[in-house]
Amino acid sequence: MATYTYTPVPDQGAKAGVLAYLVVSCVVLLLMMLFGLLMRMEQAQMISIGALWFYKIMTLHGAGMVGIVALAGAAIMWHFLRQYVDLSTGIFMANLILFLTGVVMILASVLLGDFHAAWTFLFPLPSTSMGMWSPGAAALFMGGLLVIGVGFVLLHLDIARAIISRYGGLGRGLGWPQLFGPDDGNAPPPAVVASTMVTIVNLVGLVAGASILVMMLVNLYVPSFEIDPLLAKGMIYFFGHVFINAVIYMAVIAVYEILPRYTQRPWKSNKVFLASWTASTIMVMFIFPHHLLMDYAFPKWFLIMGHIIGYLNTFPILIVTGYGAMMIVYRSGIRWDMCSRLLFVSLFGWAVGAMPAFIDGTITVNYVMHNTLWVPGHFHTYLLLGMVAMVFGFMYYLTKPNENAPDSALDIAAFWGFVIGTLGFTMSFLYSGKISAPRRYAEHLPEWVPYDKIASYFVILLIASVLVFIFRFLTRLGLASRDYQRASLARSMAT
Amino acid sequence: MIGSLSHHSGRSALALGAFYLLLATPIARDWLEASMSRHMLVQMPLLVVIGIIAARLVPVRVQDSLLIRFGGAWPCVIAAMFASSYWMLPRALDAALTDPWAEVAKFITLPFLVGFPLVLAWRRLTLIGRGFVWTNFFSMLAVLGWLYIVAPVRVCNSYLVNDQENAGWYMVIASVLLFFWWLGTLLVGGGVGPDKPDQGGSGGTFA
Ligand code: HEM
Repeated sequence: MATYTYTPVPDQGAKAGVLAYLVVSCVVLLLMMLFGLLMRMEQAQMISIGALWFYKIMTLHGAGMVGIVALAGAAIMWHFLRQYVDLSTGIFMANLILFLTGVVMILASVLLGDFHAAWTFLFPLPSTSMGMWSPGAAALFMGGLLVIGVGFVLLHLDIARAIISRYGGLGRGLGWPQLFGPDDGNAPPPAVVASTMVTIVNLVGLVAGASILVMMLVNLYVPSFEIDPLLAKGMIYFFGHVFINAVIYMAVIAVYEILPRYTQRPWKSNKVFLASWTASTIMVMFIFPHHLLMDYAFPKWFLIMGHIIGYLNTFPILIVTGYGAMMIVYRSGIRWDMCSRLLFVSLFGWAVGAMPAFIDGTITVNYVMHNTLWVPGHFHTYLLLGMVAMVFGFMYYLTKPNENAPDSALDIAAFWGFVIGTLGFTMSFLYSGKISAPRRYAEHLPEWVPYDKIASYFVILLIASVLVFIFRFLTRLGLASRDYQRASLARSMAT
Repeated sequence: MIGSLSHHSGRSALALGAFYLLLATPIARDWLEASMSRHMLVQMPLLVVIGIIAARLVPVRVQDSLLIRFGGAWPCVIAAMFASSYWMLPRALDAALTDPWAEVAKFITLPFLVGFPLVLAWRRLTLIGRGFVWTNFFSMLAVLGWLYIVAPVRVCNSYLVNDQENAGWYMVIASVLLFFWWLGTLLVGGGVGPDKPDQGGSGGTFA
């Protein structure tokens, strides 16, 4: 049995590229949140923007949020992974440029071309617009996604190259020698294990996604090349689900890397940790059928697989990470600041957000709950209170003025505003789901409107808090690139 | 050592040449070109493989100077992509069957404009370049397979629709299998590149 001790490592400042990623993330995140607020207020009948704008905004919000959290997650992963392996800054920046190019294409397609078939571009909607948008607009949207995908493929290839050069294979990056053989304590650190997993699943997902996008582009202009709609849906959800899942696995690296710095206890890559990441590497790729449970035309075994793997995959990494964090924090006398608070609450958000999906992944429940607001309730909880909290925690970490800098009352208020705002907002989604309010409806029945109203107020609280986070980050940006001790040592450690 | 190496590669070159000629015999051509699947998925890949092996028999020094003459790794890759894409077109297949000059062109371009330059470039590419070529190849092979499966018309004059459909399915299956083989090589640590001369520098890695 290997023993683990904590070896203090200095806190490194962020490279300019990482900061560029984060600044872009702040801007887009805020804009997309405002779009979210507009949608919620439209449903609450507090404003009236009309169905066309609702769906245009919904398309932008979906594509924009998924893209931007991926970008922010990539920034976290790259920042820490770079400290173990030799990554290429050129490729990192190329990804940002391709990303921004794709964003411009998508914005043009939606704002100028009126494309509004949702970010899932589900076949055959993009090519059957009934005159609402042109094939050109649809092509621009799908082309934009393709360009963004190419950027991420390059980034992951570079990560694969770096991990293979350093550790001798992606299998070793996942710690297989230590998992399947004796644990000699030399397994790669958690940041490397997580990055390896994300790289494998995203490469598979992106190749599938690129294939279906090209197929749909062909079909758009030559409709006689028909696509089997079930195949298209399967491929789109495979790609989309893998990609959005991978986002939290990138961001969680912040938790693995930063929390140990506070309590000076190591995050162990032990057998249980390695086993859960290897298991999830495979399961993440087979979990997407839980989106397809209502498509009775799929073979039965396929749906049952979705059900079972959906159940199984909810737990390994979540439990290992939650338990690991408890072990790091328990009786350590950790000093809570904005960073450690946000990172800790993110695990709570992730766990709470996973539960509704677990319930909805049950076939009998799914027949009633799927396509209600229950589903946005699930993913907004784990993405906002889980993933986005990790991103803001990372930003606070980078810009903390010094080890002992106290947080202002405003920041602490913003923290609670963020937690309460998010919970209020997502609980209203979940409650609306419970009373069967469908998702993706611009107009709601009078019975649903009160919850939409309540949600809108919580969203305003949430966005106000996020404004504080972003303001802090941007005004202290100068600190972020310097190397100095940021984490406040736990009271038991401090001298 | 060097003597035995060149002796060895001399024999390999001879065998390779014999195989090339064998593929060009009317009997082999008739049989391989009688079905679309064999034409596209056996004969043409074999021609590319001949180019690959031929390039690896060339001394590293010569490979390097050729690479410089051709302008580096990427021009070689792009030439290979264009040449291979051309032979994916249905009308190119038809032409190869009806026009002897097209057939000759196929026998020359597939080894020497696809296999050969790819080997020259491969040693210099890192996993980013190689992976880009591979992932692009997998997704395009699958999409092409789909096109052949769903095409509403017979795309080749010389082959039947069901032959076309079979070829399409084989392409999809091949793309999936190749993709997993490639991922497998990454898991065990292959394909990082660039290959150093002291690590079996004749472009010895496929992945
Ligand atoms: C202030 C924060 C946010 C607000 C107010 C908000 C609001 C909304 C609303 C009202 C919808 C439409 C629900 C429906 O009727 O179907 C929606 C959908 C969605 N949101 Fe958010 N959201 C927020 C943050 C996020 C974040 C952080 C993500 C991260 C990825 C995200 C991803 C999505 C996605 C993927 C959809 C589905 C779009 C579709 O159905 O096509 N949202 N959001």
